[in-house]
Amino acid sequence: MTAVHQFVPALLPRDATGDHTLALRDALRGAGWESDIYVEAAHDDLWPEATYFERYPERAKPGDVLLYQLSTASPLAEFLLGRPETLVLDYHNITPSSYYDGWEDHTSAKVALARVQAAALAPAATLGIADSAFNAAELSHMGCRTTAVVPILVDIADRKPSVDEAESARLARQHGSGTVLLFVGRISPNKTQHHLVEALWLYRRWYDPEARLHLVGPAFTESYVEAVFALADELGLADAVRHGEHLSDAQLAAWYADADVFVCLSEHEGFCIPLLEAMQSGLPVVAFAAGAVPETLGHAGLLLGSKRPGVVAAAVDRVRRDDVLAGRLVAAGHRRLEDFLLPTTRTRFVEVLAGLAEDRGVRS
Amino acid sequence: MAPIEPGPDVPGAFDAAGQAEYLNEVMAEIDAEVRRRRASGDLPAGLEQELDELFLEFSPVGLHGKARLRETLALVDGSAYVDMTVPVESQKAVGSHVKRLIRKSMGWYIGFIVHQIVKFAWSVSRMFHVVVDHVEDLEAAVDDQRTPELPPSAVPVADPGSTWWSSGAVAALSGVGGRVLHADCGTGTLLDALIAGGIDAYGVDPNESVIEGAIERGLDVRAESVLEHLEVVAEEALSGMVLSGSVQWRHPNQRARLVRLATSRLAVDGVLVIHSATPESWAAGTTHLISDLAPGRPLHAETWSHLLADHGFRRTGLTFGGEDRRLDRVAPSNPDAPAINAAIDIVNSLLLGPGEYLLVAIRQR
Repeated sequence: MTAVHQFVPALLPRDATGDHTLALRDALRGAGWESDIYVEAAHDDLWPEATYFERYPERAKPGDVLLYQLSTASPLAEFLLGRPETLVLDYHNITPSSYYDGWEDHTSAKVALARVQAAALAPAATLGIADSAFNAAELSHMGCRTTAVVPILVDIADRKPSVDEAESARLARQHGSGTVLLFVGRISPNKTQHHLVEALWLYRRWYDPEARLHLVGPAFTESYVEAVFALADELGLADAVRHGEHLSDAQLAAWYADADVFVCLSEHEGFCIPLLEAMQSGLPVVAFAAGAVPETLGHAGLLLGSKRPGVVAAAVDRVRRDDVLAGRLVAAGHRRLEDFLLPTTRTRFVEVLAGLAEDRGVRS
Repeated sequence: MAPIEPGPDVPGAFDAAGQAEYLNEVMAEIDAEVRRRRASGDLPAGLEQELDELFLEFSPVGLHGKARLRETLALVDGSAYVDMTVPVESQKAVGSHVKRLIRKSMGWYIGFIVHQIVKFAWSVSRMFHVVVDHVEDLEAAVDDQRTPELPPSAVPVADPGSTWWSSGAVAALSGVGGRVLHADCGTGTLLDALIAGGIDAYGVDPNESVIEGAIERGLDVRAESVLEHLEVVAEEALSGMVLSGSVQWRHPNQRARLVRLATSRLAVDGVLVIHSATPESWAAGTTHLISDLAPGRPLHAETWSHLLADHGFRRTGLTFGGEDRRLDRVAPSNPDAPAINAAIDIVNSLLLGPGEYLLVAIRQR
């Protein structure tokens, strides 16, 4: 029996890469492969699922395939470059450092290092697996000889927990009948939440003076978060822009249920799981066509060629006023989700790895 | 919110091609709504840019040059001081006494460590001061050599629709499927011609006063420079682009950035149209202020072709036109004709040449 072992910098609960790693481990074991997870760090609750990566050499066996979950800088990169086993990259994208320049220099340096590591690993990898064609193109550009696109393993069917009613009531108390625009994702310069604030300001001027913007996600880049809320304050929107973080699944479901439109103006996304969550929650989506957003969204949302506030405001208004459009977007979202169902993506992932094993004659 | 009912059972609703066509129609209506808002004065020219500039006031990346360096240096100076007076407050009375005793007994040791840390921190801070002073000296030296900026009012109002090359531009872009951008669109008259030809065209121009008439005519025109605009356009969102006006005298760095942006924003098979004066005729044909103060100079058509080929474009058309200032050769019957004509040829090729050109290229990759 041959093994496919995963290496991930940090195994964390309620984290897309962490969930993906665990789901993939189960899928590989289910397909008859040996599969363990090696980490640099893990959440206390997940240490039973993981092994510190420096213990791998004592367990290594001929024919092992090492699969690296690549999304950040880590000593794992250097470790894997020094290993003789077949290397497979599973690329979840790395935000270009230019987005953090001036905002957060240590993050800028960290992602720049991650890209340097990725560029060193890519030519050494036998196969690069990417969540999207956008990510696959980056891998190829970095010198990866063979790539395959397999969406991230996310159990989207399980991502519709019951709504936290107390949270729902709290949100409802904060606003009246005004339109609620929602974006979910860490508050970070590449997600350009400041453009959402600008769009909200114009939307309120043109269409709905009671409209609100809900931003859900960790305050990842502190100076950027401060700038976004200072802008909101300056535009008289201090009470109209709300930030939610550290939410439980049920609380997050309440924020989705409370919203009217999901608006994404990110400039760089490698996949964008919140788009799937919005589809699952029955929210119509308006999104700027950048990075992997167009391929994740398909025809299940209004894709904007420009994110100027006027265009965004007019698009949100159209979705709000036009029930037929909103209904078609929601229906298309439900259909689009079927492409990302866990059994489908799990099977595809195993097929890709099995193909690699057959090519290299490593399968027993 | 009230739950939204899934879509209707209408023809094409569940068919990818039908859905794409439907969404394209919706987007066209949204664009029309924005155009209507601009024309009605709801979206004044430059408002969206002002919002971006407002955000920059809160952004550390909005601080440039000296301000940013000096602000960072102040942070370094501020953090170079280490307070060795340990707080001794305590919720319990005896706690304060104990803490004070520890502070007193450990004071010599902490002082020894702190002294070295502060010494190191001040050395680092001093080094940064030296570096910043040096950088500022360099900036001052560069500033001394900088030419004055070309005032926007010195740029003549462009009326591209009435030029010799407008019909060629319209012909080159006829049949492109998606949106076409005209950069430095001036009064928007080329946009009128493009739209009349069934092309979904819009424009940008940094001069707000020039585009007012175009906005009043209901055209989709924004008060932005082409570089600022292309930064916020999605990749491969455009099917065609016309670059004219001040584009030809951009600084070489800006021109390189413009070519990169144009390449990424144009779809494969997208059409790029460039109008420019020839370098030979430019100085004679433009105003003195522009020829003296413009940050860059026009390129020869061959140079554009070379730059574009490096970015995956193939030149498909090149037409020369405009005012022909070349001197006529004298008749061969003139006994001095060979010498005079040789001199005329040199003057024509070095100074006068053909006046302007229109270059058409298609993005292939």
